[in-house]
Amino acid sequence: MTDTTSRAAASTSRAPAPKPVRGPWLTNRRRRLLTGLALVTPALAVVTVFFIVPLIMTFWMSLHDWPLLGEHRFIGLDNYRRAFKDSEWLHAIRFTLEYTLIITPVLLIVALALAFLVHRGGRAARVFQSVFFLPVVIGFAAAAYLWLYLAQPGLGPLSDLAAKLGIAGRDTNWFATATSGLLLVCLMVVWKVAGMQMVLLLSGLQSIPVEVNEAALIDGAGPWKTFRYVTVPLLRPTLALVLVFSVAGSLLAFDQFYIMTSGGPSNGTITAVYQIYRTSFINFELGYGAALSAMLMVVLAAVSALQMLLLRKTDN
Amino acid sequence: MVRSNSRLAAAFAATAALTLVLSGCGGSDEKTSSATDKPTGTATLWARDNEKAFINLLAEQYNKTHDGKVQVTIVPSANFVQKFGTAAAQGSGPDIASIDLVYLPYFASKGVLDDLSPVLDSLTWKDGLSPAHKKLAIYDGKTYALPFTAEASVTFYNKDLFKKAGLDPAKPPANYDEMLADARAIRKLGGDYYGFTMAGQCGGCNVFEFAPHVWASGGQVLSDDGKTAHLDSQEVTDALTFYRQMQTEGLMPPTAKTDNGTVQSTAFQSGKVGMVNLGAFFVGNLVKDKKIDFGVTPIVGKTGGTASFAGGDEIAVTKTAKNKSVAYDFVKWSTSEEAQTILANNAIVPVRTDLIDKIYAPLDPRYKALGDAMSTGQTPYSVVENAIINDNNGSWATMINQGVFGTGDIKGVQATAQKAAQAIIDKG
Repeated sequence: MTDTTSRAAASTSRAPAPKPVRGPWLTNRRRRLLTGLALVTPALAVVTVFFIVPLIMTFWMSLHDWPLLGEHRFIGLDNYRRAFKDSEWLHAIRFTLEYTLIITPVLLIVALALAFLVHRGGRAARVFQSVFFLPVVIGFAAAAYLWLYLAQPGLGPLSDLAAKLGIAGRDTNWFATATSGLLLVCLMVVWKVAGMQMVLLLSGLQSIPVEVNEAALIDGAGPWKTFRYVTVPLLRPTLALVLVFSVAGSLLAFDQFYIMTSGGPSNGTITAVYQIYRTSFINFELGYGAALSAMLMVVLAAVSALQMLLLRKTDN
Repeated sequence: MVRSNSRLAAAFAATAALTLVLSGCGGSDEKTSSATDKPTGTATLWARDNEKAFINLLAEQYNKTHDGKVQVTIVPSANFVQKFGTAAAQGSGPDIASIDLVYLPYFASKGVLDDLSPVLDSLTWKDGLSPAHKKLAIYDGKTYALPFTAEASVTFYNKDLFKKAGLDPAKPPANYDEMLADARAIRKLGGDYYGFTMAGQCGGCNVFEFAPHVWASGGQVLSDDGKTAHLDSQEVTDALTFYRQMQTEGLMPPTAKTDNGTVQSTAFQSGKVGMVNLGAFFVGNLVKDKKIDFGVTPIVGKTGGTASFAGGDEIAVTKTAKNKSVAYDFVKWSTSEEAQTILANNAIVPVRTDLIDKIYAPLDPRYKALGDAMSTGQTPYSVVENAIINDNNGSWATMINQGVFGTGDIKGVQATAQKAAQAIIDKG
């Protein structure tokens, strides 16, 4: 037995190694990988060139004293330290958060109301849907100029309307105080953006099966209870999307304030992005402007992450 | 895992390589010419959009009469400094640039402009060029631009409203008290008639329109070398107090507080406002309009005296200019009588004080006052002009807005602005 085994082993060791069978190089697995890579490459290139590279450059610039013209020098985290003591920047951040806190719920409520209105269906609903959506196709800057004209004292129709309703005189300057200026900007933003949010919420409403609402009705739930315990929970993913869009848009607000209030009066309506613009393109401090941008990005990412987390938790 | 990471790295490397290849595609091997070569070929010129009316006429005339050619690119006024600055920093700017004179110290200090001292010295009419323009173009003892177009600020007054209010249209105000009295008389006409208006939320407008009150009263906004701010001076307090008086008495329209420079001229053109401080460009608008019988008078000081802001553009050759021969030839020609006459015929104040009476003043009876104002006008010199003065949310603009339209202590507002402005100057 031992002999036979050892001979067999010896014969095995002497025999030439069998040639590995080489299949085609382009296996199905490789083909799938390459196809995937080819499909992702354009997106990857775009993200790299337009997002990752600028992001790295912004962070790099933020570590420098970087004027528009002339030499730049490395100053470490000095720009960030400066930002925490910069009263103008801190005021801009505070104002931006206030604006976000005001506009977000207002927009959501108006958009939800509009979505319910057009959700009923019918020809009139379709007409209203288009009417409400119309301002969305206008650019923010154009819309801001339009409202600037509408609110011109003694000239725009808003002055006339206010005078006829007895709210204010025909020559009232709506931008004379930061509060009334902010109010007018909020009105413009609701008019401009609510249509977009309405469409998103409408798609959410339409995805809720009719049977669920019918079951709630049969169980004796009134309209409020149906809304509170059936519609809202089922609409939560859409609500989350709308809220993230709305908060991000508000934290990045610029055009509407730049055009309608010019940041005034007395710098009372300067948003974070407006302050970044001033720092970079009026004061020509590109390094400090980059640091402020990086800080705003962190705030934006944190707020969005928190929102997603909270909404997911509630969902669970 | 290792394999997928290396694949990812390869993809990144490929993308980065592609980016590098693409970014390298912009290279240029265009021919360049030096200042002493024969001026042939084409030079590029950037100008602001408010120069559109005459800059193309100038270029056409130059192109018709010279071997060299100039190609004009119009850049929006609001973004000119940023666009030109960015392009100059990358070496992709024009050969010639028409620059608002207040920005000359900044661009000269950053080394993006050619030294034009020899060109200025070669001009036989050198002494006749606007002194304010010449001063602003000097940095470290060298001249970096030639005077190109001029602008002067004066008080426009509506003669019809003066008559209606029982005032003598031949006797415009000569000091703060008279101006206040005239504004009150016009406001008494009632309704939406107002005595005076201003752009309460515009830094650039107010260095043009408000600062002359300070200068006419013997004060300064910035020191001559631009290294010290004087926003807390008594003369500034007096001018702010004077304007606040007009505001609290309701002599200004409600739009004045938030006007960023777009409303004041139309308010005066409506015929409902008695006085406004504006520039030569406005004469052309009013003459074309034919609606108002107006007069122009120098901007006054507290107890008398007059002053004006000497504005306008300078013309410079960039350090990275490719066609320097045509660029030098054009900037030299742009100060000639031929070029300056084209400007005068398009309602632009010429920079040649020696030619004002010949080519400009005869065109309209009111131009004489504007020409005189330009010849003696002042311009603050600062390498950080944009941040202190022109920023509509900067220290100068905020001081004026709060000083005139606020209710707080004017001295306190000035102290805050002074501190902020000095900090910007010190940072450089």
